[in-house]
Amino acid sequence: MPMVNMPKDEMPKPGMPSGALAMLILRVLNSGPLHGYAIAQRIHVLSSEVLEVEEGSLYPALQKILLKGWASAEWGISETNRKVRFYRLTAAGKKQLEAELQDYDRVTQAIQSVLRTA
Amino acid sequence: MEKIKELFRRLGYLFSHNRRSRELENEMAFHREMAERSAGPEGRRRFGNAVRLHEQSREAWGWTWIDRLVQDLRFATRMLARSKGFTFSAVLILALGLGANIFMFSAMDWAFFKSLPVRDPNSLVRLMRRSPDSSADAMPYPTAMYYRDHAKTLSAVMMLMNGRLELDPDAKALSVNYVSATYFKELGASAAYGRLLDPSMDDQQTTSPAVVLGHEFWKQYFKADPTVVGRTIRLNHQLATIVGVEPYGFPGLGNQGDSADVWISITQQPYFVSGSKALTDTLRETVVVWARLALGVTANTAEQELLALTDARRRLSPETVWKGELIRSEPAGHSNVLDAGTLRGLSIVSVLGVLILIMTCANLGGLLLARGVSREHEVAIRIAIGASRKRIFRQLFTESLLLALLGSAAGLALACAALKSCLLYFGRPTWVSAAPDWRVCLLLLAMTFIAAVFFGLVPALQLARQQHKRTLARQVLIGLQVAASCVLVIISSLLVRAAQHVIYTEPGFGYEQVVSVNPGFDEHGYTPAAAQVYLASLEERLRAMSGVASVSLVKYPPMGSGWIVNSEINGQRLQIYRNWVDSEFFRTMDIPVLLGRSFAPGDKNAAIICQSLAHKLWPDENPLGKIFLEKNIVVGVVADAPINAMRDVDALELYSPAQLEDMNAMSIILKSSGAPDDLIPMLKSMVQSLDSRLFPDITLLKSSFHEHMQSAEQLALLMSLIGVAAMLLAALGILGLVAYTVSQRTKEIAIRLALGSPKMYVIVSVLRRFSTPVLVGVFAGAGVSAASSQILRRALYGVSGLDPISYSAAISVLLSVFAVAALLPARRALRLDVARALHQE
Repeated sequence: MPMVNMPKDEMPKPGMPSGALAMLILRVLNSGPLHGYAIAQRIHVLSSEVLEVEEGSLYPALQKILLKGWASAEWGISETNRKVRFYRLTAAGKKQLEAELQDYDRVTQAIQSVLRTA
Repeated sequence: MEKIKELFRRLGYLFSHNRRSRELENEMAFHREMAERSAGPEGRRRFGNAVRLHEQSREAWGWTWIDRLVQDLRFATRMLARSKGFTFSAVLILALGLGANIFMFSAMDWAFFKSLPVRDPNSLVRLMRRSPDSSADAMPYPTAMYYRDHAKTLSAVMMLMNGRLELDPDAKALSVNYVSATYFKELGASAAYGRLLDPSMDDQQTTSPAVVLGHEFWKQYFKADPTVVGRTIRLNHQLATIVGVEPYGFPGLGNQGDSADVWISITQQPYFVSGSKALTDTLRETVVVWARLALGVTANTAEQELLALTDARRRLSPETVWKGELIRSEPAGHSNVLDAGTLRGLSIVSVLGVLILIMTCANLGGLLLARGVSREHEVAIRIAIGASRKRIFRQLFTESLLLALLGSAAGLALACAALKSCLLYFGRPTWVSAAPDWRVCLLLLAMTFIAAVFFGLVPALQLARQQHKRTLARQVLIGLQVAASCVLVIISSLLVRAAQHVIYTEPGFGYEQVVSVNPGFDEHGYTPAAAQVYLASLEERLRAMSGVASVSLVKYPPMGSGWIVNSEINGQRLQIYRNWVDSEFFRTMDIPVLLGRSFAPGDKNAAIICQSLAHKLWPDENPLGKIFLEKNIVVGVVADAPINAMRDVDALELYSPAQLEDMNAMSIILKSSGAPDDLIPMLKSMVQSLDSRLFPDITLLKSSFHEHMQSAEQLALLMSLIGVAAMLLAALGILGLVAYTVSQRTKEIAIRLALGSPKMYVIVSVLRRFSTPVLVGVFAGAGVSAASSQILRRALYGVSGLDPISYSAAISVLLSVFAVAALLPARRALRLDVARALHQE
């Protein structure tokens, strides 16, 4: 799955499949509410700086997650003392994450078994 | 469930759009700050165009199309405001086209779809007798009473009988609705003044029965005086008390609301009409019957119960029930019932409407194409600076839609105004209002959208694709609109010709000097023998009167309703109007006897038939002496004279000699030697001097005839208006398209002129490309009219559907209008300032 997306262009394009990005966001939010920038940073760090979430795809994805009801937004104060929106995973979001993880596991296992035996 | 929640969230975003948008902006600004802090200016660069990113994120809410729509609408408004002349003519054309359709549909809506403003109209049904051989829309009073008393599926049965009574002292003839006393209560009406009929009071015998005044009659005769309630009047010399006034705009059932001058409980009919057997006669169909279905009962269930009741009646009194009789119910909550015949009529009207719509669209399409020329430049620039074709197309289409909306609003206003003036002009029915209901609005919306698609799509596509050299679209548009206008003009000229035909052609019988007198024997319970004695002495007196040229008896007087026989003779299914007359009839009506003789006293099975019937039955033989319809022997052939079927061009007549048993149903007709008008008072006193109980119905045939002509004239006027409107629309369209061509080919024309080409030649070259579609359109239109004129047969009063005069007149007028419309803009090409035109290009 092409998850690496190096920024090359001025115009950001949605690089990562939006489904995959949503899954990553949900996974990161699973350990507690975060604001937008922190979500991007977290993904970047956790992926050992391989995955870079483009801002141009992060916010559309977050809007979609809010609409789907997988996360709720609440106001909080950032580390720089600024009022900012924190995203918190909802029960529906947890369910969605579990479902997506299971799907993902199944697909990767299938791919791996093909790669090993073929 | 999830989907619904999501939809609500989405709607939440729509309603708090501005706040959410600000929040998102703030959030993204924060992100940018943080990124800058960690990565320096590099981070900012990566973040890209802030506005664009913001818009992209907002797109997830799914409402950006509204933003675009608002933008497009704003732009469209500006564009339309800038070219006022174009906008005005486009809106005018649309208003005419859509307005005409709305007008026609509203009329249909009242007639067939709108519920009557009475209580619970959907459970009302009308009951009628049907059997394989016979049918009657009314039934004898005792029969209706039987159903009323025994049917459990009907919660109420209402009866109505029409009649006429004379109001003393000035012997004014009043039309009367005798109804069940429950009628008003069942329909939920309440009196304008006083009270309406009440079953607990008005069904008993009293010295002065209750009368409810019709609203119109009350206004005209009593000058809307509310104190008339309680006053006593005399009807047919009998005392009656005015108890109330019918409410304004009371619809009644079966269009009976506006028509009556007074309403009286049906049980009081014998009181006013002495000797009447209307309530006891078990064989004569005297009352129209409506019923209300009991709660939760379907019409089907009720029909089944009525069938069982009919079978029970057959056991009680077999002579009153037909073989295989059943009672059919028809929904009665509307002004009219849609049957196959009316449906065909309506389909003609709808086709006219569609034709007008097609013309309107083709017309506007032409105008828009022409306008497109001046906008090519603008569109080219917008495409050059990066607008997508889709977006341009959408924008242009929004413009068309806006135009269509403006046009439909104007059309609605126009239609409402026209309806209002029509209602005022025709004066009834009073319960109808000109305001559009949801069906009308729905149709208007649909038509608006369809129109926008049809007139806006082609030009918008052409502009957006930047292909404007194509002429096919234009040719098709011209062809379409010529064909449609051709059909409309031909049909209207056919109908105008028909009206002329009716007005200027003799109907086949004399009417100027004929008076018919219906003494009303059977209303007063005369026996045939008594009627015969009466008629003999009356005839004798009339013949002795000065100024009377001829006197005769007839069962169904001319210009009234007739008796129709449907039967199969010699393998042909024929509809024949049958009448019973005496020997003087043909002389009195001025109907020439062509073959054989008129009736002679003592004739029993003799028959006289009209020329067309003779020709139909025995094309190559002498019809005299032939026997048909059981044992009728043809003794004479007379000229065609549709005395009971003015509207039916195919009418065939059969006359039989009146027998003794017909006598109490006969009317007298007489021909005067001078003007018949002065005879009426004398006739009246003469009829009453023989029996003072009789109140004769005396009619001048010429006034019935003129009433009939009036409706034909009105139809012709309406049709010629439609024809003129169609012609104008088409002319406008042609004008626009020629103007377009001239403006598109300015350079070419200028060069030709500069090189010394003769002016005529230039004009011909401009107009030549229009000749093919115009000719094709004319031929197609004429073909369609010829094919559809068969459906119009009835309305054409004997004018052929292929009448060459109508066709050639319509086509030549249309062509000359087109020629003028085309030459006006073409002339502009000749006055071209060659140097400037070439310079501009």
